[in-house]
Amino acid sequence: MSEEDKKELEEKELPSEKKLDAKKLSKRDVVKAFWRWTFFSHANYNYERLQATGVIHALSPIFKKLYGDDEEEMKAALLRHMQFFNTEPHFGGSILGVTIAMEEQKANGAPITDETINGLKTGLMGPLAGIGDTLWQGTLIPILLSFTISFAAKGNILMGPVLFAVLHLAIIWSIGYLAWMQGYNLGKEGIAKILQGSLLPTVMTYAQTLGPIVIGALSATFVKISTPMKLHLGKTVMKVQTGILDKLVLGLLPMAVTLLTYYLLRKKFKPTTVLLILVGIGVVGGVFWII
Amino acid sequence: MTIHLWQAFLIGVVYYLGQMGTPWVSLAGTHTIMRPLVNGALVGLILGDPVKGTIYGAAIQLPFLAWIGAGGAVPMDTALAGTLGTALGMASNVSPSVAITLAVPISLVGTMIWVLHMTVDITFVHMADKAAEEGNLNRIDFLHVWPPQITMFLFSVIPAMLATYFGAGPVKQVIGGLAGTPLHVLTVIGGILPALGIAMNLHAMSSKGTIVFFLLGFMVAVYSKLAILPIAIFAAIIAYIYTQLFLKRGEQA
Repeated sequence: MSEEDKKELEEKELPSEKKLDAKKLSKRDVVKAFWRWTFFSHANYNYERLQATGVIHALSPIFKKLYGDDEEEMKAALLRHMQFFNTEPHFGGSILGVTIAMEEQKANGAPITDETINGLKTGLMGPLAGIGDTLWQGTLIPILLSFTISFAAKGNILMGPVLFAVLHLAIIWSIGYLAWMQGYNLGKEGIAKILQGSLLPTVMTYAQTLGPIVIGALSATFVKISTPMKLHLGKTVMKVQTGILDKLVLGLLPMAVTLLTYYLLRKKFKPTTVLLILVGIGVVGGVFWII
Repeated sequence: MTIHLWQAFLIGVVYYLGQMGTPWVSLAGTHTIMRPLVNGALVGLILGDPVKGTIYGAAIQLPFLAWIGAGGAVPMDTALAGTLGTALGMASNVSPSVAITLAVPISLVGTMIWVLHMTVDITFVHMADKAAEEGNLNRIDFLHVWPPQITMFLFSVIPAMLATYFGAGPVKQVIGGLAGTPLHVLTVIGGILPALGIAMNLHAMSSKGTIVFFLLGFMVAVYSKLAILPIAIFAAIIAYIYTQLFLKRGEQA
């Protein structure tokens, strides 16, 4: 190391110590980043790095505050976050909350490496995407849809699409905000604590019990299959649907078709293949007036 | 009913806002507008009959009940299915069941628009890489928002507008020639397809006892003729009790 370099190092260290409390993020900065993420996370969604530029766009106010006066640190931060990132953005926002906490500590001299930050991001994005998508797209949305849809089918706009939109946004934005702020407040250890604790299995078990019951009711209401076939027994004509099937179990055909579809999906058939099979059943059954 | 060019354009804009990730309405906002339940009502509003649009939208929603877009894969384009399905259904005055049958193939064609968008955006990521090396944060912010949104606007508005404007006439003629067995087949398929969305949803949350709980909900609905909401409340109570017992047993084991 040359004399000049040493001098430069000493000069650098002094101001960085002074900045210790100067580089504190306000709640406003963190909330601002949350809204940027909530709106813009998928604006440049792509096959190569998915939400990478979304992360940088969301954390812009953070980077400006922490690294605005240091070109090298800014460059390093941008390169660090141009990496592949993909998660469910509301529950997974907690990851970025933690990331902000880590960036803040790093900017104030804590020994946090690029690898630590990226390891945390890539390590948590998968589990939180799985949990988040199951709870949000797989549970919350279908349940909200299933009771607003029955109003909408009768032409009720207020209790149909409007109620769905209002409840959906209110619930998911609240979850997103809480997850983001919790992530920031708890920091790295906090997230691990939540993932290992009993809260998660409780919520998952609850969702996996509630969901299928409501979906069962939905299937009974909305899958519509009946047979127009008639049996001629001597002089009497017996309708197969009302005379036989309905006396066995009401809704036997819709139940059978739903379970068949579920079975095919479990057997790893692609949704599009299953779709074609269902269309095939409809064509054959419809042409011969079996269903 | 004839659809004017300005109406076709606005329906195209609804489709654009329903593309997953369009930032102006937030991600959750796009996940709201992409549902045929919602965009059907908006299309109805544009065409002057929001109540009718809502009824069509509700019907078209069914096969897409459990639509999940995750990991960059979009299995079906529900926004195009809802907007075009409702517009063409209303214009040709077919039953909502037939509109479902129209909407499903539309949703499959629509996924091509998504693939195009996800591929073109890679270019902007590479431009952002260069900006990162220069430490130019503002440029990344610009690249993240404007180029992808301008291209996406063109990719979604133009095809949806053209299909709405020119599609209604042919669809009407085709449907007119289908009376009898062909229309019966379309109606049958429309009755079956909701099973796909329902089963996909069941599959997404499947664990121990999924089928048992499914049958419980199904049987209660069929025999009690209760609406979904009261059943959902009973389901919430059962889920609470089950969760308590299940987790307690897990702790002891």
